[in-house]
Amino acid sequence: MSNGPGDDVRLWSDELASDPSSLAFLPLAETLRRRGQLDLARKVAMRGLERHPHLPDAHDQLARIHADAGNLQGAYDEWAIVRNLVPGHVGAMKGMAFIRFHQGELEEAERLLLDAQAHTDDADISAAIRTVRKSGTTARVSLAMSPEVAADPRLLFADLMANELAAILLDSDGLVLAGAYYAEDGSDIAADVGATLTGVSAEALRATRHLDIGAWRAIVFETEVAVVNLSPAPAAGALGPGGLIVLVAPAATPLGLLKRLLDKCIERARSWLSSGGAT
Amino acid sequence: MSTAFTLMLDALTKQRGVRASLVAGADDGVTIDSNMQIGQEGTRVAALAASLYRKARRSAKTAGLGATGFMQLEAEAGRLCIIGSDEIVLIVVAERDANIGLIRVEMLRATKELG
Repeated sequence: MSNGPGDDVRLWSDELASDPSSLAFLPLAETLRRRGQLDLARKVAMRGLERHPHLPDAHDQLARIHADAGNLQGAYDEWAIVRNLVPGHVGAMKGMAFIRFHQGELEEAERLLLDAQAHTDDADISAAIRTVRKSGTTARVSLAMSPEVAADPRLLFADLMANELAAILLDSDGLVLAGAYYAEDGSDIAADVGATLTGVSAEALRATRHLDIGAWRAIVFETEVAVVNLSPAPAAGALGPGGLIVLVAPAATPLGLLKRLLDKCIERARSWLSSGGAT
Repeated sequence: MSTAFTLMLDALTKQRGVRASLVAGADDGVTIDSNMQIGQEGTRVAALAASLYRKARRSAKTAGLGATGFMQLEAEAGRLCIIGSDEIVLIVVAERDANIGLIRVEMLRATKELG
């Protein structure tokens, strides 16, 4: 009987050592991925694939590892292999669509989602299709200086956001400067969320000072349905220190993609603030 | 003096890279028990950590995201991990390169054991 994840890793490693063709590489790679040991996870998955090159689960596993590592094309390629092996593999189609969306290839993202929808009755897929279609009109708004963003700062991150994602830029008082956060009923709750986060930046600063662990970089918290990432907003233009960028994503979002998206939001905010936004 | 939390905190602090573990009141952030190698600053950190966790819970509630679970603050040279309930929060101070996945699992397990 195992006593914890560490024991499981040891058991799976031992099993692989005694039987290199064992499928224990799958849970081992998944555990390593969840721990953030992506290089090791990738090596384990690839070694498993050498023995099981036609195993869909092995390619699916490697795709998730690539996605977490920010290797979007690598993830796409692996999910494409899964789809070749199992043409109706909904997970692979959703993964491919998610990546194409982030690469700005909205037509292909929509096509993949429609293919997935043909294989399953999943409300998430229908919502994703609506988001991709809606984004088609905003995807062209890719510059922070666009007239649309100047007229309505809620659109600042619109072209970066996929289904069920939200990003807002707050000042040190928790006031919303840009971005939007739509609730299920369609109302923008960004101001309400911002108000609850007033003072977070100052408290994070004080905590890290007391602990002498350097500047804070991010606060990430998990909820039942989402993962929320708070990062210091760039102090640029009219925004002084203490601002926040809040990014909310579905709980299943790979951490690598979340990080990549956050970096884009920070760059977008910096560009917008530097060009006179929030004045 | 040992409390209901002492064994749990000892076990957490034995994890590689963990500098301190504390249990504090969720509402007031007052330390209930601790296993620290970081001196008196720990009690201040407990108060700040509890406050950050309360804000996270409030924002999640406002956004309709359900109950809040594991939370971590990442800094240049360390991490502050927090998980809690209505009454208490469990706080771990760890080094930057600590195995955060393992610490998270142990904290989730500890919280479950506390009910």
